[in-house]
Amino acid sequence: MVLKKIFSNILLVFLVIFILDFAIGKTLRYFYFNETSGLHYRTTYSMDSTNAEILIFGSSRANHHYVPEIFEDSLHQSFYNTGRDGNGTFYQLALVKTILKRYTPKTIIFEYSSVFAKGVEEYDQMSSLLPYYKTHKEIRPLIELRSPYEKIKLLSEIYPFNSQALTIAVGNLEINKKRTADDKGYLALHQEWPYQLDSIADEKKIEVDTTKVRAFRECLSTAKNMGIKVYVVFSPIYRRYKTNQQVDICRQICHEQNIPFWDYSKDSFFLSHRNLFLDLLHLNNNGAVAFSKMIANKIKHYKTD
Amino acid sequence: MTFTSLNFLIFFPLLALCYFITPVKYRLYTLLAGNYFFYINVKPVYALLLAGITLCTYYFTRQIQKNDKESIKKIYLIINIILILLPLFFFKYFSKVNDFFFSALNSIHIRWPLPDIKLLLPIGISFYTFMSIGYIIDVYNEEIEAEENIGVVAAFTSFFPLLLSGPIERAKNMLPQFKQLKQPDYNSIFQAMKLILWGYFMKLVIADRIGIYVDIVFANSGHHTGRTLLLASILYPFQVYADLGGYSLIAIGTAGLLGFKVMLNFNRPFFATSIAELWRRWHISLITWLTDYVYTPLTFTFRKYKMRGIILALMITFIISGIWHGAALTFLVWGFIQGIYLSIEALTSKRRMQFEKKYNLRKKGWYIFLEIVVVFILFAASQVIGRAENMATAFNIYHRIFSVSGPLFIGDAPSILIYSIIGLLMLLIKDFTDEFAPSQMQFFNNKRKSVRIMAYATIAILILLIGVFDGGQFIYFKF
Repeated sequence: MVLKKIFSNILLVFLVIFILDFAIGKTLRYFYFNETSGLHYRTTYSMDSTNAEILIFGSSRANHHYVPEIFEDSLHQSFYNTGRDGNGTFYQLALVKTILKRYTPKTIIFEYSSVFAKGVEEYDQMSSLLPYYKTHKEIRPLIELRSPYEKIKLLSEIYPFNSQALTIAVGNLEINKKRTADDKGYLALHQEWPYQLDSIADEKKIEVDTTKVRAFRECLSTAKNMGIKVYVVFSPIYRRYKTNQQVDICRQICHEQNIPFWDYSKDSFFLSHRNLFLDLLHLNNNGAVAFSKMIANKIKHYKTD
Repeated sequence: MTFTSLNFLIFFPLLALCYFITPVKYRLYTLLAGNYFFYINVKPVYALLLAGITLCTYYFTRQIQKNDKESIKKIYLIINIILILLPLFFFKYFSKVNDFFFSALNSIHIRWPLPDIKLLLPIGISFYTFMSIGYIIDVYNEEIEAEENIGVVAAFTSFFPLLLSGPIERAKNMLPQFKQLKQPDYNSIFQAMKLILWGYFMKLVIADRIGIYVDIVFANSGHHTGRTLLLASILYPFQVYADLGGYSLIAIGTAGLLGFKVMLNFNRPFFATSIAELWRRWHISLITWLTDYVYTPLTFTFRKYKMRGIILALMITFIISGIWHGAALTFLVWGFIQGIYLSIEALTSKRRMQFEKKYNLRKKGWYIFLEIVVVFILFAASQVIGRAENMATAFNIYHRIFSVSGPLFIGDAPSILIYSIIGLLMLLIKDFTDEFAPSQMQFFNNKRKSVRIMAYATIAILILLIGVFDGGQFIYFKF
């Protein structure tokens, strides 16, 4: 009798949770895919709508370093920057898979981000892909790398939108468009780094996560096998270093796949102009313009070589 | 396996099922197997350490019980305490002590021969060590009898809800429960479930969310403005409360579902009107342990010194509390500051009481509010030292709070702060009503079933909506 009472009450609570989860989750989903600006919108646009000829992939460094206008003017091709803050190789691979399923761009630039070290951060960052789990079958195996229980968690309608309610609400506001207006995915940064150059330091030796290496390889090979011109670029940083194991891995993979790897991390022009940086890892708009000109020019000449 | 992992959400119902379908006679051993399975999942080799401490505790408590001679009993007690404390010292303090001697001797050109050993601290060692020591002392003081059944002692020292972060339970409360296992009734099951639900809310919605902001700010304290550091310093005590308080509620609830009653670990600490009261409400299991086994014997020893003896006992007790938290100067200073606070309170208590009586202040809301605020500020200020990497960083934080102006750091996502505030307000409102108006605004204990069910579901939905699922470990795992 007591057991029956306990189970009926627990069942009742779970029923209410299920109903609320369904209703709130569906509402969040509706508004998420109705956003007209912001991070979510740019990911959705990248996955489902862009048909640009040149695509940029990567994290925040990609997002803030490649200026559309310069590439379009120089290469006479349409451009979209899919880079997203705090997202690395897995996110790039998800985008590559969904975009190339729809159409074949002419050129893809992968911005290098140090992503091969063991650690959960990269897996956690894939939370930005959870809203697309139901609608984009091709990215499911990637999302399931997050944990063995991801499928179970995704039974909840709210879970994909965990911690996103406010961002979703703001993304549906017209005012947000003006506040965080992007230029074909690109977001300009406007402050200047006030401090001197960091002293030379060797990067720490890392334990390599082979899943991340495989994901990066897959990004490159998927694009290359479709006949797309692929470039991997390590854009400038305001920090001196001697060696970096992760850069070496990236260089090695590019070499194996016969893909150009352009390393600007030790470029003396940028290292001598701190006014081109926002912080140690990000160029400001002036820096991005200068850098984009260099890359666009290099691609242009690389094409004609 | 931690309480916030999905592994635990699979482990616990399975263990509970096995436990309740096992005949009562053998239930203890099902529980014991579950305890060790739980700990082995954290790191298998450390289960051996736990087993060693248990065997040691069992053997020496039996010896203390068997012997009538006070001197022999005392020798057994001392040997046992030393043996139990050795692993704690080795894992927690050895490298620091070694570093200290190495640097000291190196400065006079003598090379310290021992190698630099850095070992991973076995999770929970500080907690089960203290539980074991408490048991031994209780047996020595003849407050309880030494347990004959080693299974009961092993179940006590390894009881999985308490194993990793307490509450630091007492043998006299737990051993009788292990000896006579009880079936939880309907009310205790629901009470336990409510505690677990609220515990998860505190941990996932409040502690881990605040933790994101606090970690960012404290990790780069040298680059943040005074306002930002002030906000992080105010938020940090709430983070710790929600973290360890949340963990404790899940532990108490989990134990409750198996039919065990475990002591409360937090009791709305931020409504304390004095530091002494705060320490009666904050990490209660540790403080009562220290009171019983350190402070009270010390005050007895120093009784001829009267107030000076009390102050000395307070200082020693809280310095031990600081050292228990970690082998760092910051923890030592943190403990010292608590001792100072409490000593000042002890020295001024008579005058304060007279003053309060004269103006009838204890019945005035504004005065109580003022006391609550002052106590919180003093506590939060001391927590900065506990949180900082070293004393220089702590001083730099204090300095920047008062000297560096500039905007408040919001970060890339203002939602972190907004969600933190939502969670924190809910916690404060709940604690406030429980403290000052326990019959008002009852949601979990409402007379109407529909309200209760909606309250549970709402908390669960809020956890799904704004909980942090990729958050860190519990703060006290490192202690």
